Amino acid sequence: MKRVFVVLLCSIALFSFSTACSTAGSTSESAKGKITLQYWTLFGGGDAEYMQQIVDKFNKTHPNIHVNNMQLDSTQYYTKLVSGVAAGRSPDVAISHITMMPELENLGILSPVDDIINETKVNVKWDDFNQNILKSSIFNGEHYSLPIDTHPFVMFYNKKYLKEAGLLDASGNPIIGKGPDGFLNFLQQLKEKLPDDVAPFSLSNGGDDPYRLWWALYFQQGAEGIVSKDLQRSALDMDKAIKAAQFIKDLYFKQKFIPRNIADFYQMFQTQKAAITMTGVWATGTWASTKGLDFGAMNIPNIFGKQVTWGDSHNLIFPVQKNPDPKKQKAALEFAKFVEENGQMWAQAGHVPANTTNWDKPDFTKLPYRKEYTKVASTVAFPRQTAEFGGIKDFMMEDLDTIWNGSVSPERAFKKLNNQINDLLKNSILK
Amino acid sequence: MRNKRISGNIKAIPFLLPFFVVYVLFTIWPIIKGLQMSFYDWSIIKKIRFIGLENYAQMLHDPDFWASLWHTTLFVLFSTPTMVILALVLALLANKKSKLQAFYRGAYFLPTILSVSVISYLAIFMLQPYSGFINSFLHLIGIHAEPFWMAGPHLAWVSIVGVTLWWTVGFNMILFLAALQDIPDYMYEAAKIDGATRWQLFWNITLPQLIPVGRIILLLQVLASYKIFAQIMLITNGGPGTSTRPIIQYIYQTGFHKYNLGYAATMSYGLFVILLILSILQLKGQTSQGGES
Repeated sequence: MKRVFVVLLCSIALFSFSTACSTAGSTSESAKGKITLQYWTLFGGGDAEYMQQIVDKFNKTHPNIHVNNMQLDSTQYYTKLVSGVAAGRSPDVAISHITMMPELENLGILSPVDDIINETKVNVKWDDFNQNILKSSIFNGEHYSLPIDTHPFVMFYNKKYLKEAGLLDASGNPIIGKGPDGFLNFLQQLKEKLPDDVAPFSLSNGGDDPYRLWWALYFQQGAEGIVSKDLQRSALDMDKAIKAAQFIKDLYFKQKFIPRNIADFYQMFQTQKAAITMTGVWATGTWASTKGLDFGAMNIPNIFGKQVTWGDSHNLIFPVQKNPDPKKQKAALEFAKFVEENGQMWAQAGHVPANTTNWDKPDFTKLPYRKEYTKVASTVAFPRQTAEFGGIKDFMMEDLDTIWNGSVSPERAFKKLNNQINDLLKNSILK
Repeated sequence: MRNKRISGNIKAIPFLLPFFVVYVLFTIWPIIKGLQMSFYDWSIIKKIRFIGLENYAQMLHDPDFWASLWHTTLFVLFSTPTMVILALVLALLANKKSKLQAFYRGAYFLPTILSVSVISYLAIFMLQPYSGFINSFLHLIGIHAEPFWMAGPHLAWVSIVGVTLWWTVGFNMILFLAALQDIPDYMYEAAKIDGATRWQLFWNITLPQLIPVGRIILLLQVLASYKIFAQIMLITNGGPGTSTRPIIQYIYQTGFHKYNLGYAATMSYGLFVILLILSILQLKGQTSQGGES
């Protein structure tokens, strides 16, 4: 009987010891006097490389701080971030898209930067920022992030093919006529003059990029927004939404300028199997490092009246901590400032630095296309600051996808979307 | 005697305890917690307020819930019969005495050991338009069509059912194979002496002997098919649009993209009740039929 009791005791002791170990491990690093920061990012491809270079440079020049760059998968990033904070394991500093910040703020993930500045006395010059972006990072009069860039949706073209088709002017810019007909005519000429295995236009048949093009064309018509000013209901402008969607749908189905269901539309442009493509400026770094690809970049053509495009912005946020440590907060803010001030490094990926002091640096001005991008950055239509934007965007992409695959008419898809947005805002638990 | 049994039971406790703790902590407790959640407005961060049965009322009026439940049911209707019949056919082939017996068994079972992400990426590679294996093969044999295996609303279902079939049919086959080998040889011998043909052997001996294991396979298959999620998420991500989104993916999106854990828990209980009813019906049918024979 006694032996049984001993066995029981031992197993309990073993169990509690093993759980105690797992919590003790995390604090050992700071014992050496070096501060370790957890930094969560969602970058892939060229973006990931350039961000790692910035982190490496920071770690080299700051012997007392070590930033641990956690590269997470972008598709599940926000889920991870929110559940990480919910579980009390917040990163010290993290990346967030500006369009996701209202949602994160509403969930109670973000701590106001002003509080951290007051506590740590680190000086941040808000006047240096591009005010168009900065404005979108402020809620209720408080700063919640340090914006690091804008990344607008632009058009890339293969100079060789455009030249062959006689569509480049003397200074090397594409010749595109005005309005919808001008753009269609441009693509028609490409289609006629290009080799058979080269498509005029490469774009995915679903997901983000056709959605971004639709966004640009919707706002080019002077649409107000997706949700009403009071954020209570859908403000979808049916006529404009349908007109924009129909124009894009025809590119796949009617004129057949875009081959349907391309597996990898980046690759198609990269391997010179397409004359133009449209995506975010972040692709610039990838194209530039592709041998033999002579490409140009420009604003999305003004098809419906106003020069507007889709865009988003990466921001450095400071998720709320269970036990805030002023030393760590100060280090995190110093790191954020460092990323700001080295915007010329980040610009190599294609992004437009949000801190305008970078715009005059020789390292920035010597990069091609970037001067053009700084102008494009001010034509971005940002969404209104609703906490439900993430959910609305999911609905928009789902419904637009049914248009792009031809299974639902634009009229029906937007009617559905309108109801979905209204229901979502009405039943929202984010209030 | 009695004392000894009790002390034996006590001795068993330290051995059972680790599993018991883990089981209660990670299975029983979340189930109870989930039921509690379903009565609340509950975001991923915090419990907001008690709302009673409102989530359940919302579920009954949510077209997306019914649509994705229908998608899952559609998958069950397509996949279950094909899965059971194909498994039987493969088991019969693998049971035939031939030089390639080991090869058959290995080849049919092999995909089952691969992880879902591996088979999904293999599937995408095979099914891609323009450059994928299947379409390239079609072009090679002179068929110049370009079917969109993952982007067509109907074809996407064909692809998903096909991929799942290839991936998991091996497990059912193994169960059938084991049952086939359990059929005593004397039955076949006796029948042969009576002059039975091969077809009669199959119809009157093999098939009736396989019915018990067939029922178990059917039950397991229905439950497994209702849980479909990962391969759809990875191959079509529920698309095009939401035309292949199964109920589990909708629950996941509600909980972890829209952060509405309360409503997600409610729908999980909805699915749980449906599965419970199906299982009870099946088990009932089984016992009443079993009573006859």
